[in-house]
Amino acid sequence: MAETESVSESVSGGAQSGMATTSAGTVALEHRGRTAVLTVAGALDLALAPKLRQLVDRALRQGPELVVVDLTEVDFLASAGMATLVEANRLCRPAVGLHVVAASRRTMRPLELTRLTDELVVFPVLSAALVGR
Amino acid sequence: MTPASVTGTPVDEQPTPPFTLSAALRLAGSVRERAEQAGDYESAMDAVAGELRAGFAAVSVHGYTLRGHANGTTGDPVLTAVAGAQADPDPVDAAFLRALSERLEPDGIGVFELPLASLDEDIAAAAVVVSILALAGVLPSGDNVCLVVLGRLPLPNTVAHLRPVAAAVRSALAPYLGDATASVRDYLAVVERAARDHASELERLTDTVHQLHAEAGVVDTLHSVGRHLTAQLDISQLVQDATNAATKATGAAFGAFFYNLVDEYGESYTLYTLSGAPREAFERFPMPRNTQVFAPTFDGTGTVRSNDITLDRRFGHNAPYHGMPEGHLPVRSYLAVSAVSPSTGEVLGGFFFGHPAPGQFTPRHEYLAEGIAGYAAIALDNARLFDRERNLATELSRSMLPTVPEIPGLAICTRYLPAATGSKVGGDWFDVIQLRAGRTAFVIGDVVGHGVTAAAVMGQMRTAIRSYALLDLSPGELLRNVSLLAAAMPEPTFVTCFYAVHDPMDGTLVYANAGHLPAVLMRTDGMVEQIGEAMAQPLGVGSEFRQSQTDFPPGTELVLYTDGLVESATRDLSVGIDNFVAAVTMLRNREDVGAACDALIEHLTSGSHDDDIAFIHVRHTDGGDPA
Repeated sequence: MAETESVSESVSGGAQSGMATTSAGTVALEHRGRTAVLTVAGALDLALAPKLRQLVDRALRQGPELVVVDLTEVDFLASAGMATLVEANRLCRPAVGLHVVAASRRTMRPLELTRLTDELVVFPVLSAALVGR
Repeated sequence: MTPASVTGTPVDEQPTPPFTLSAALRLAGSVRERAEQAGDYESAMDAVAGELRAGFAAVSVHGYTLRGHANGTTGDPVLTAVAGAQADPDPVDAAFLRALSERLEPDGIGVFELPLASLDEDIAAAAVVVSILALAGVLPSGDNVCLVVLGRLPLPNTVAHLRPVAAAVRSALAPYLGDATASVRDYLAVVERAARDHASELERLTDTVHQLHAEAGVVDTLHSVGRHLTAQLDISQLVQDATNAATKATGAAFGAFFYNLVDEYGESYTLYTLSGAPREAFERFPMPRNTQVFAPTFDGTGTVRSNDITLDRRFGHNAPYHGMPEGHLPVRSYLAVSAVSPSTGEVLGGFFFGHPAPGQFTPRHEYLAEGIAGYAAIALDNARLFDRERNLATELSRSMLPTVPEIPGLAICTRYLPAATGSKVGGDWFDVIQLRAGRTAFVIGDVVGHGVTAAAVMGQMRTAIRSYALLDLSPGELLRNVSLLAAAMPEPTFVTCFYAVHDPMDGTLVYANAGHLPAVLMRTDGMVEQIGEAMAQPLGVGSEFRQSQTDFPPGTELVLYTDGLVESATRDLSVGIDNFVAAVTMLRNREDVGAACDALIEHLTSGSHDDDIAFIHVRHTDGGDPA
């Protein structure tokens, strides 16, 4: 039962930031100027996906120009996580850009199998995603 | 409410008036001490008046002496000492003193309150006098003495507590007017009595404090047990925790919880947990029956608490045991509480507590046991509802499993295993659809999400695909249409699906893939090939679905599967797929393909999987070995 949410599953923090955890993963939100950076770590699965979705909503309330979802530290990208990425992307567009940071095989292979790489703007490193080209 | 708060005087500015026993004893001590150092009677009176004024935070204290005569009468009162602010004119007048002299204690000094009306009303008001306390009586020498304390605070009804102060005044003044022995003896007696009273008051207070501690303990216990229990969804763990907690809280030698569950066939059965006794202690006995002793608990009509159940009139009426069976743990003290479902009102089970000694269970134990039983009932309710939702999803998924048709020339083996832990049941499905002209469609898919919602979406996807398939849409066209349907659902929908059609006429397989894992083809020449990788986006996301075609001659085998089979052992999808492809060759040319499929699943999941698994294996047998 790796993905039970028994310990903590609260979304906390002030308006400017936030943090959500499950037993297998975490999402943290920080604002860098007008860019909202969501850093995901661990398993982006059925348990964590709704938390990511919540923090995307929170990020958008701050009126950012760009939302970056950094999957560098994600070691498992389940379809629930990919569904949330698509949802977030469609929520942002066209007013706000959404950039995904993913480079490892563990995140890229699922994105390629589902051809979400056609739709999502994916960068290999955070610095590139922040600059946006 | 303290006197200080009545007048609004800040408590910390003035000493607390000595209306408690301990304060009175302290004041008595200081009165005696100050008077002892005085040297003569007048100074002693001054000292006493001063101490009293300070001790009572009084407006003023007036001390009068009425010297005795040889003929037994006394003279006029003489103002001997005054402490505190002088009102002008002095509110104590001759009429007041006459009234006071009628209440003189004949043997010793009494302490009593005088009505405020004894003073001139205006003068009393001007001096802010609120109460009058008098210490008045006879000294051993026969001389009378009166001390009038004009207080700025109302007197409480514990004026009797001040007796030690009165006795101290007497024994403080007596030495200056004759023999002090009697007054000291009286003083000691009074102080002793006061000390005794004080001690028993302390004991009472200690008892009260103990009681309050115990009550706080009850609240703490209930709170922590409740929080722990209601956070549980695992029935067997929560009933054990509840039994342990309640047995500990009631101080029982042992406790048991008997509860009813309904199995998958709708039949009720009873289980139990024990605390404080080994399971062997009960194993030989039948389940408790609805006897007169147990009935109130199983019927939920009320708690049963008995100091000695063997003396209870309800005890021992039933054959074959007429009481407790031989070898039963000894029970004299008995407490039994029902756990009643807050949602349905049905009795979920009963807690039973026993102790070999009589009279062990108090009302507080009963209260605790009822509290824990209440929380246990809530937790059981939650767990049962959770189970129901989980089973509903499993039921739904199972009920939508297709009947796989017999198709000439094809040997088809399918498997569906709902997630073992239940919470993720509901997303995966497979289908085998017989089309016109001997063609067959194979479908495998996975709906993101879990539970009843995912199972319901899955049902709609399956039906849509079936309908379009029977309309003879090509694989790409079919997935495009289904994706439009999925995208039109109220909730965002993300469904991966592999759709393949076998046509025996030309020995081909035409397929399209909406973001699903690639399928595996085992060719006749021994080559193992993955087909359909990354052809299109999932249903509900994509809008373009291309299709491909490959040869599917007799002897070829096709395997379709869901991610439950690759994500069980590793979280790296690439490794998982490689493992799967390597292992799948064990199905090759197997006669007992069903057993081989089971072995493959067992091998890949090590017997446990926390996600749904769907799986199809097809062998084209026509022209090769008959199946």
